[in-house]
Amino acid sequence: MRTTRRELLRRGWKLGGTLLAAAAGWTTYESLRPLASAASGATINLGDPSTYQPETATYISQGRLFVAHTGTELYALSQKCPHLGCRVPFCDSSGRFECPCHGSKYDLGGEWVEGPAPRGMDRYALKVDAGKLIVDTSKVITGPSRGANRFLKPAKGPSCAPKA
Amino acid sequence: MTDIETPPSPGDGPLSEGSSESPPTRDGLEPKVAYAPGAGVAARVERSNVWRSMFRHPTIDTPRGRALQSFSNFFLHLYPVKIPKRVLRMRYSFRLGFIVTVLFAILVLTGVYLMFFYTPAVGSAYGDMQQLKTGVGFGQLVRNVHRWSAHLMVLAVVLHLVRTFFAGAYKKPREFNWVIGVVLLMLTLGLSFTGYLLPWDQLSYWAVTVGTNLVHYVPLLGGTIQNVLIGGDQIGQNTLQRFYALHVAVLPVLVVLTVCIHIWRVRKDGFAVERSSVGSPVADASTGTFEEEATTHPAPAVPATAPTHLYGGRTRILGVVDRQSVTAEERAVDDTVFTWPHLLVRHVVVALGVAATVLALGVAFAAPLRGLANPNLTPEPAKAPWYFAGLQELLSHFDPLVAGILVPAGGILALVLLPYIDRNPSTVARRRKVAIVVFSGLFAIAVVLTVIGTFFRGPGWRFVTPWTHWYVEL
Repeated sequence: MRTTRRELLRRGWKLGGTLLAAAAGWTTYESLRPLASAASGATINLGDPSTYQPETATYISQGRLFVAHTGTELYALSQKCPHLGCRVPFCDSSGRFECPCHGSKYDLGGEWVEGPAPRGMDRYALKVDAGKLIVDTSKVITGPSRGANRFLKPAKGPSCAPKA
Repeated sequence: MTDIETPPSPGDGPLSEGSSESPPTRDGLEPKVAYAPGAGVAARVERSNVWRSMFRHPTIDTPRGRALQSFSNFFLHLYPVKIPKRVLRMRYSFRLGFIVTVLFAILVLTGVYLMFFYTPAVGSAYGDMQQLKTGVGFGQLVRNVHRWSAHLMVLAVVLHLVRTFFAGAYKKPREFNWVIGVVLLMLTLGLSFTGYLLPWDQLSYWAVTVGTNLVHYVPLLGGTIQNVLIGGDQIGQNTLQRFYALHVAVLPVLVVLTVCIHIWRVRKDGFAVERSSVGSPVADASTGTFEEEATTHPAPAVPATAPTHLYGGRTRILGVVDRQSVTAEERAVDDTVFTWPHLLVRHVVVALGVAATVLALGVAFAAPLRGLANPNLTPEPAKAPWYFAGLQELLSHFDPLVAGILVPAGGILALVLLPYIDRNPSTVARRRKVAIVVFSGLFAIAVVLTVIGTFFRGPGWRFVTPWTHWYVEL
């Protein structure tokens, strides 16, 4: 069937409107999308790796992360709970990370132990450069799945969460 | 709305009724002498050209005069000129829709006041809150009223939705207005949530942290949506600025626009028929639908294309539907009353009641302000705002994909599709048992989860009783 001029114009308007809406949506997204520099952190020099003692977690405020030494490996763990984003402090008495919001617990390697969190704590890329430990906070490595249990040990002592 | 009334109601008088200065005009639409007589200042002002350029019609206490005033007054024109008498009864709707509108108006007024003293900057927002408390006249009270109005608005919108469901008022022809109502519920939650962050204290920071992290569980796009929403990977200046813009500009404009459409459609779709009218002479008792009001008067000669059964009595043509039929509503001659003053007086009373309530709450209970937001110190417990506490409670029991996405998204989708899924035309409770049982059950679960999450959870999300430890801040 031949397309009439009116039909052609109608289709043109529809196509133009769709393209315009798509362009508006895209530009809005591009405007609101955080830039990489704003969304992620910088590279931080953590110093000599030997300064981090086995079975300890050291808080690095500059990067809002913990450097955890499991005895065999070093990890830079994000302080953000993968459940709902609360800050997860390290509990010295139990030797675990314990989220105060919803009770998720993680072992020294940031692996999930219990609670509603869907996985272990996220990590940042670590490397040793010229004898210095360097963490790149722009590179987030998703935490290990539940049940990884590579570093799971019984709790050293009582939990830090206050009794309700 | 175009109202065509034929024939005119008995008792309608000419506009110049009561005036001795001039005979009535031909059709009563051009009153020339009905303005206040006399030589007093007020009368002179009312007769002046300036006054008449603003108020085209004088106050005339006749049915036609009231109708004319309604037509020519912007605010009165939001209402229909006449309404069914049953609408006046409190239990017809409990005025919940109107209460929501009043609360929104209070929020706009108090919100604009607060804007004079607030800067959406991480460095100053918290200080502005403190300054509001100590250095601005009535600042704390206005903030309290704003806060309470926001909470009550969420509550009233939910109750409005529940009432509409139980009345069956979402059924044909109001399906789409129900959908608009669901959109308004979402916008209301968005307004309340974006405002939650603005004080920039520990309560707001962590409640919004928890709330925005719920979005993270959306498959594939969760992280991107969250990043766009908060303007980075954690709550900060970008978040505050975005939430402020959404809170004071984008969402209020959307709410006003959507409310206008919502109210307009209430008029266009007609007022819901309540169950008690099933006993009317022409009621369809088997269904209890809006056809209850159709009459069976013998039809006079009417245009061949028009629905003839509607032309027996007094007919108000409400609109013409494309190619299908004339949308009309028929009712007995005496079943309507003038909106002004009958409904307006009731609305004024309700509005005063709502204002008094939020004022009393504002005087009695101060809006909370904890310490300055600290990203390195999570309070125990960190709870989302109360209307998301049910979701947070659900997340502590189920997989995030289920509790964070499938349940809320499914709930919203089910609400949107409800009027299209529920094809049962009856509004009578005993004929829609399945719908009522399912809705009541789901609503009860949502309420129980919200109550548990709000009142019965303490540090580490452990179960606590509110009478031993109180971990609630609204």
